[in-house]
Amino acid sequence: MALENLRETRKKSITVGFMYEANKERLQLRTLNGDVGFEKEVRDKNIHRPGLALAGYVELFTYDRVQVFGNTEIRYLQHLGLKERVKAFETIFQFDLPCIIITNENAIDQELLTIATDRKVSVFQCPFETTKLVFFLSDFLDDQFALQTVVHGSFIDVYGVGVLLTGRSGIGKSEIALDLIERGHRLVADDVVMITRKGEGILMGAGTDVVKHFMEIRGLGLIDVRSIFGIRSIRFQKRVEIVIELQEWKHDVEYTRTGLDHESIVIMGVEIPHVKLPIFPGKNVTVITEVIALDYLLRHYGYDAAKEFSKRLDAVISEKARGKRVIDYFEHDFE
Amino acid sequence: MIERHVTVKNRAGLHTRPAASLVKLAAKFKSDFMIIKDAFEINGKSIIGVMTLAAEQGAALLLRFNGEDEEAAANAVQQLFDRAFDEPV
Repeated sequence: MALENLRETRKKSITVGFMYEANKERLQLRTLNGDVGFEKEVRDKNIHRPGLALAGYVELFTYDRVQVFGNTEIRYLQHLGLKERVKAFETIFQFDLPCIIITNENAIDQELLTIATDRKVSVFQCPFETTKLVFFLSDFLDDQFALQTVVHGSFIDVYGVGVLLTGRSGIGKSEIALDLIERGHRLVADDVVMITRKGEGILMGAGTDVVKHFMEIRGLGLIDVRSIFGIRSIRFQKRVEIVIELQEWKHDVEYTRTGLDHESIVIMGVEIPHVKLPIFPGKNVTVITEVIALDYLLRHYGYDAAKEFSKRLDAVISEKARGKRVIDYFEHDFE
Repeated sequence: MIERHVTVKNRAGLHTRPAASLVKLAAKFKSDFMIIKDAFEINGKSIIGVMTLAAEQGAALLLRFNGEDEEAAANAVQQLFDRAFDEPV
């Protein structure tokens, strides 16, 4: 089964309450008005600092983002008299804000807090500097709103390379995965691999919470890899680096013979090397998978076997043209 | 390609036993069989896949069949859902 037409999905929104629960320890968030506004939704992965909006300029105000009050916003409010301060604060409350986070242990007046509470908007306090908070929170929101898809295959860390084995149901992906585990490689997920796009060019694969590290072996049933092979046989997530598609050998399909042209496949906009591996009885797919991973590492470190061979051949051909022998006599090898 | 909308009718939901009957039935056919729940699509011939759905009673699923015997596969699988996997509803 090919990896085309994957159903991609992305969360439309998360609630403010969920964001708070997930980050309260890491970001040391404290809520200033209880669970008011926890049901409000965050729909944008970006964060906004409403300095200009507080000053009255609300054109292009991205009010639907998480609003972060850094030192600038707080100092600006403080330099105003109470009346103007309330007015400035109310300016941004013409809009439907998801929530407000105040950094650097800064505080706001009770009057302002009351406005937020009346409008059912959570206000959080965070001891971090604004840049640090924005960095961590962006990372969290990026992940929450990342593109995801589910792939049917086995995903294994082979010598540190994330190898995704695909192919039609029953072709033997799980059996090869089991063989690789037996040889000391680490299973990430079998059958249901959840792939998340991180940033621009990275795909991370993981199992789902329900079936983590369980696998089905036909004729045997469900097995728990972690219990049988131990903690060293598994890992929780891994970058997807190669896709190996297992196929039945077909006479009319051309397979690569030199490996000079590398094929690739695009998953959620990320290009991943793609190897189509024909299988037939007696072929040791496990060892070939290991070799594919090692060859990937070599290329990663700048050595391309097919290119080296080709270079050597070119050199020999040009020497031969000058009348040299193809093989020279090995002087010390008399046996 | 054939698509069918079904709901899980039995009280216990799509737990291990019905999941096993579902994949056993699906494996008898050559057609590809995918199940779509919420935004996720899994292979209906994989027991781990079907169990990942953790579909409860009342869950709405979209079944998609693709292949030479898709008609027969769709009918057989739909019947199994209609019978609530022969479990109490």
